[in-house]
Amino acid sequence: MTTDDTAVAPTVHAIDEIVAKPGEGKALLDDYLARYAPGARARGMVLEQILVSPPMWLDDQSNTLVFRWSLAGAGAWWQMRFVGGNDPDVAAWWADADARAVSRRRYFASDPADVERLCDV
Amino acid sequence: MYKLTRLVTLTDSASVSALADEIRVLAAAHSAYRQLVAPTHAGSHFGGDLLAHFSFDAEVQCSDFGAALAPLLATPAVASVDGVSYQSGSGGRSDPGLANGVYRVLLLSVDEGTDPALVAHFEAETRMMPHYITAIRNWQLSRADDAIGARRWTHVWEQEYADAGGLMGPYMMHPYHWARIDRWFDPECPDRIVDARLCHSFCTMEASVL
Repeated sequence: MTTDDTAVAPTVHAIDEIVAKPGEGKALLDDYLARYAPGARARGMVLEQILVSPPMWLDDQSNTLVFRWSLAGAGAWWQMRFVGGNDPDVAAWWADADARAVSRRRYFASDPADVERLCDV
Repeated sequence: MYKLTRLVTLTDSASVSALADEIRVLAAAHSAYRQLVAPTHAGSHFGGDLLAHFSFDAEVQCSDFGAALAPLLATPAVASVDGVSYQSGSGGRSDPGLANGVYRVLLLSVDEGTDPALVAHFEAETRMMPHYITAIRNWQLSRADDAIGARRWTHVWEQEYADAGGLMGPYMMHPYHWARIDRWFDPECPDRIVDARLCHSFCTMEASVL
């Protein structure tokens, strides 16, 4: 484990990739921001970027929404995980979102330059 | 090897030592090949006050011992018990002589009806944890044959560490855990297949039991 406790923890990213049902893209984005994002911010997540593909709202096909959040290291990740994982409102949100999505992925990532430090535990 | 684990929560934690002594005597009388009966460390979560873990050469020995142990755990002094009996699954030992370390067990319950291919995928990724997290000295992943307690426990994930720091530090903080394995457990991830209720229990061990 690193002995430099004063070092800033490497930023880690949580990425949500949601393929909305045809015609649902804009409404799902709005709901994500209204219903999910405030609680996520309270759990220490910082919304860094939102991407929409294709960059237009489709009414007969699927839009893909990508949300990239940042967290201040693995400790902050676990804090987010423990709080969000035990919040029934969060579970209810994802159940609703999944019903309006064709598919969804959540994955976690870092800058390649931070890999070595993240693994030095 | 046939194994049995009980995580015992007492109504009065002061009685841990006396119950532990009774259980050890009973296990010895049933010719347990290995036994570990010890108070759990702070930080255990639904892990009980007492961790009791036994190995037997034969299935019948294990089941006979389980039957003999049940009355000891059915007294008013015992508030609840979570436990499993199981046949040893695959494992590895990088430090079979490990002494005065920490034994940790996780009881988990995969959702009923989960695609067997997904369960196998989860198991395969879990078995790779010791490859990436070298603080895990000895380990074993098994499927439960019988379960008691708060859930229908399906899996037993056992590890041994040199000390509790190995569990709380490298095991928890390595990205293979939180960025790879945890998605099977995380209610926010669509890959989740494991019930949120877990038994995470750890205790001091004199010698390896894996």
